[in-house]
Amino acid sequence: MSYYDIDSILTDAQKLPCTFELEVPGLGILEGNPGEDIKAGTRIDLPLWLGEMLSIGARLGTSRLVTLDMPDALSERVMNALKADPRTLDLRALAPHFYNLSERILELFEEEEMVDVLSDAFKKRAAEIADHAHNSRGTVGGGVDFLRGLDETERQLFRAAHDRAKDMRIWSGEAKRK
Amino acid sequence: MAFPLPRGITASEIAFLAEMETVTIVPRQRLEGLELLGGPVEPLVPPRRASLPLWLALLLKRQRRANIIPPTWLHPEPLALILEFESQHQDYKNAFSPPPPCPFTPDGNRYYVAPPFLPQNTAQTVTSSRDPPSLPFHWVEVGNMLLEVASDDLVDPDQIRRLLKDLREVRMAKMRSGVDVLDAAATGGGGVALTGVGSMELGEERGFITGVVDGLRKIGSSKEQARREQMAEQRANGGYDGTQDNDEEEDYMEF
Repeated sequence: MSYYDIDSILTDAQKLPCTFELEVPGLGILEGNPGEDIKAGTRIDLPLWLGEMLSIGARLGTSRLVTLDMPDALSERVMNALKADPRTLDLRALAPHFYNLSERILELFEEEEMVDVLSDAFKKRAAEIADHAHNSRGTVGGGVDFLRGLDETERQLFRAAHDRAKDMRIWSGEAKRK
Repeated sequence: MAFPLPRGITASEIAFLAEMETVTIVPRQRLEGLELLGGPVEPLVPPRRASLPLWLALLLKRQRRANIIPPTWLHPEPLALILEFESQHQDYKNAFSPPPPCPFTPDGNRYYVAPPFLPQNTAQTVTSSRDPPSLPFHWVEVGNMLLEVASDDLVDPDQIRRLLKDLREVRMAKMRSGVDVLDAAATGGGGVALTGVGSMELGEERGFITGVVDGLRKIGSSKEQARREQMAEQRANGGYDGTQDNDEEEDYMEF
């Protein structure tokens, strides 16, 4: 992930539920009442970059400012759905940068099982993506719904596979250059 | 995107590289020998066969100055045999048919030549008749170009075209089903066997396969990191002086 990577920046902006452990004076603006204090125990959705920074206090030995929770996109319910059938899930509705987000979350939480579930889902969906990308007649049947539910990483995969197959067809004379 | 071309090389570039392959022709006209950068071309005397680079052979064919003798593998029978091999044979359910064997020099030593100069597409058989037929590295490109330009020189070109298409589809399906084992390759320790895959097939699937491996690597990175830390710990406990590993561990811990 590079500094100028737009996907990385957008991943940083995704919201994460955080619980404040301390009372913070004057930070009520985060909650929507400027000028007020934030009470300990308040739950607010903070962007990933901010939540990560605030929760890092524990590593430095001081008491931490907020505790992080799993975002909804990676909740137990979603994991179960992924385990059952990864192909039917609309990842884009959960989080536009689902895999990038989960990669960042897995850096923060120790979740061995989630790694396995996600890798498995990614593989299964990748195989499906490849089939759709090589289909020259566009999408058939329920393909449209599946393709609409791809997250950014998967869209890039689809693009790579599709462009190459098209390039190949143009070269071999099966398709015409636009 | 700022740069319009996709990463890796495009289909036409791969085809350009394939034009370095040597093919056998029967000239219809005399032609003086040519001194080319890639090496001299022997003088062409009509009834005698000659080996030329594919691009020159295609040029002469288009000008009706020569006939191309199709390479040994580009006949319906060997192609049908390979197709049967790929689709029916149990051993090759997930593997590709083996690449052609490396040619031997007369004294019996193995003769190593770089892929573009392997004489796999000449009519003079480099493989003895006992060897099973095999597809050369540039089979898609050479097959396609010969079908396009010199279809009248081939035996039953329609059949060949159909077989090549079938073969491509069978092999692409295998390559795509290979994603299942890709995570082993991504987290280390495993690998994907791509022996016998042609250059055009590689070029077509490169973007997808690298993308999948990269995605799996990212997802598995936290697990991988935990594994490394555990290994470093074990080494340290086992009395192993792993100063380097400890340094590594500290690097990973930083945010």
